[in-house]
Amino acid sequence: METISTTPTVTVASSSGATPASRSFKVSSAPSDAQPAETLINIENFDFYYGAKQALFDINLKLDDKRVTAFIGPSGCGKSTLLRCLNRMNDLIDGTSVKRGKVTVRGIDINGGDVDPIELRKRVGMVFQKSNPFPKSIYENVIYGLRIQGETNKTRLDEVVEKSLRGAALWDEVKDRLHESGLGLSGGQQQRLCIARTIAVSPEIILMDEPCSALDPIATAKVEELIHDLKKEFTIIIVTHSMQQAARCSDKTAFFYMGKLVEYADTRTIFMNPANPQTEAYVSGRFG
Amino acid sequence: MSPDAIPPPPQKPFVIQKARTRFFGLTLDETIRVFFGGNALTAVVVLALITFFLFREGSEFFGQNRESITLYRKAGLEYVDYMRAQQESHTALTRYLFDIRLRAFKQLTQDQGLPPAQANEQLADLDAFAGRYSDTIEPVRGFVSELTDVAVAIKEKYTVNRDAEKERAQFLAAGMTAEAAEVKTKAIDFKAELAPLVGVTPAYVEAANGVAAAIKEMLPSLPKLPASTSGFAERLERFQELNRQYLATFPETQKKLEAWDFQKPVPTLDTFTGFIFGKDWKTASFWQDWYGVVPLFVGSLMVSVIALFMAVPLGVGAAIYINQFASAREQRLVKPAIEFISAIPSVVLGFFGIAVLGQALRALSQIEALSWVPGFPFSERLNALTAGCLLALIAVPTIFTLAEDALNNVPRAFKEASFALGASRMQTILRIIVPASLSGIVSAILLGLGRVIGETMVVLLCAGNRIAIPDFTQGLTAFMQPVHTMTGIIAQEMGEVVRGEIHYRALFMVGLVLFFIALLINFLAQKIVRKYRVSIG
Repeated sequence: METISTTPTVTVASSSGATPASRSFKVSSAPSDAQPAETLINIENFDFYYGAKQALFDINLKLDDKRVTAFIGPSGCGKSTLLRCLNRMNDLIDGTSVKRGKVTVRGIDINGGDVDPIELRKRVGMVFQKSNPFPKSIYENVIYGLRIQGETNKTRLDEVVEKSLRGAALWDEVKDRLHESGLGLSGGQQQRLCIARTIAVSPEIILMDEPCSALDPIATAKVEELIHDLKKEFTIIIVTHSMQQAARCSDKTAFFYMGKLVEYADTRTIFMNPANPQTEAYVSGRFG
Repeated sequence: MSPDAIPPPPQKPFVIQKARTRFFGLTLDETIRVFFGGNALTAVVVLALITFFLFREGSEFFGQNRESITLYRKAGLEYVDYMRAQQESHTALTRYLFDIRLRAFKQLTQDQGLPPAQANEQLADLDAFAGRYSDTIEPVRGFVSELTDVAVAIKEKYTVNRDAEKERAQFLAAGMTAEAAEVKTKAIDFKAELAPLVGVTPAYVEAANGVAAAIKEMLPSLPKLPASTSGFAERLERFQELNRQYLATFPETQKKLEAWDFQKPVPTLDTFTGFIFGKDWKTASFWQDWYGVVPLFVGSLMVSVIALFMAVPLGVGAAIYINQFASAREQRLVKPAIEFISAIPSVVLGFFGIAVLGQALRALSQIEALSWVPGFPFSERLNALTAGCLLALIAVPTIFTLAEDALNNVPRAFKEASFALGASRMQTILRIIVPASLSGIVSAILLGLGRVIGETMVVLLCAGNRIAIPDFTQGLTAFMQPVHTMTGIIAQEMGEVVRGEIHYRALFMVGLVLFFIALLINFLAQKIVRKYRVSIG
């Protein structure tokens, strides 16, 4: 497959992102390894309810392995809900239910009766909108996932801390103060600490729920760079309100509106040549 | 000027001044300020007044206590008490011997099925020995009872004289000189009065030495118990050992008696330590009143420990359940129910304790299958355990409500992050939620403790009101003994004391101790809460 040599540029009327001055998106190039991706997660005819209120309508989506997929759409469109369905975080909310359809990861239905949500969450990590390190030391934050799995080997824990913090591009900044509180870090550092904490349990999939919405542009750039590196090892699904961000880091983008999947395609296609007029209107900033 | 030129609109006057309603020359805002400020000030002033009067009423205790202790010495009571101590130690030893006999008798009749007459026959040697042993102290006992009367007579004379002096002072103050002259007072010459007491020392010492010699002589002839009984060798050996210790105190007592001087001044510090570390609280006694706070303090502490021991697991556990596990329906049901407990008047709880809980606990303790529980069975219906159980009930709502608040304050994000990392519910609670709210929980427990320490009615009704330090040598049995508490004693005795008397002052001092304990607990709780706010960020 031919790789694209020039970075395509899309001009839009306005943007809701962090850099209003820039009117153009840099759309990331197609996957560098250029191999066709396998499907990892398969969502079929999926309906989801909060109590009596239906939040997701008949979602059909295949998410690729070792790729970054972005979910975009206006507030309340169900993109975060779908994300939280992928590691069953919605189980924690009273009254939620899957009424129809299924989500399979590597062919296993994650809502099946024999699935332990705890095991599922070990394989499907999550990074939240607001950075939420525990009120513990940086070190303890990173190894929390291993501690609860009963890991006590000090050497192994030290290894994991260094590897995870390096993986989250935080090691150089915090290596001298691993035993200070994680709450003493800056916002961007805290968010990267949360990413380090997530990758420390070596999941396959990392879900990111608007990971940069509380960060300044510099911290955002760092996290985005990190996402780019992480996709070599992990499958990443990111929910974002920033279209530049979706354009910059994702390989594929899904656009949701009112609980329905409107369009799902290569990020390039979504931003440059959307098939659906609603998608076009949203990415060009005419509504949303 | 053109005809259709529009005239400029009239300038609207710039009115920003307004006459304000005034009350007593103050505007509305100022009045509101004065009203609320006044309320706050009143609260502070009242608190200051309470503290001031507590101190003022209590502080005179030391002077009066010093006077009381001085009289104790001058009238020779102290001197007689040295002798009495010797007599009482001997009595305790005799009791020890009788206790051995009782146990042996029980073994013989109950375990071996001997008829009582036969058992008595087997124990005849021991009985003879015990009889002789108990008689050895007779000479000392004679001295003590005789001298007790002398000392009491001196004290009585002094008291009568002091009252007369007071009466005269009152007459003089009222300007009734004639009546004042009528009142006869006579200064007491303690030295002369004490002469018969001190003169007896050599005779007493001789008698005491006689007692010591008699004991020493008869100890080797301590009979063995019948061969069929078991486990008494140690006790008999212990009896010998106790006797040796007892005899070793004789020279010391003799020295004390000979060195005793009725004029030796009482150090001011003694009045303070006598209160704080005093092991006796004896009032309205014919002999000497002692005001030591220790038995009351220990009583309060014991019931509080029992109460917290039960209320902390219940309160914190319930808070965790309601906060983390319960459905909305359960929350609606359980929360008001627990909070309702605090609406029950404590006198009603105390009544419940007397009528139901005390009986039930005693019945429970007498079940054969439970006799392995330390302290079971017990015979006192009202004791520290009964009071502690009821106080736990009082502390639970406080601990529950505050601990639940603390758990609620843990950001939801922590919980979600923990779940997202594959933690189970229990791991999330134990590793994240409880540690994050720990200081809140600790301060909830402290405030529960404050509630328990200050509770009066329940302990007054249910703690058994025996003013004595429980016998801790028996281990946990101490918790099944009746106690009296600091709050209970104030409520019980304050109504009966003469205003301004030493007993009245002593009760105020107990109040001060309570005040400081409450202050300390609140201080700690606040300090911990402050730390907790910072750590959550």
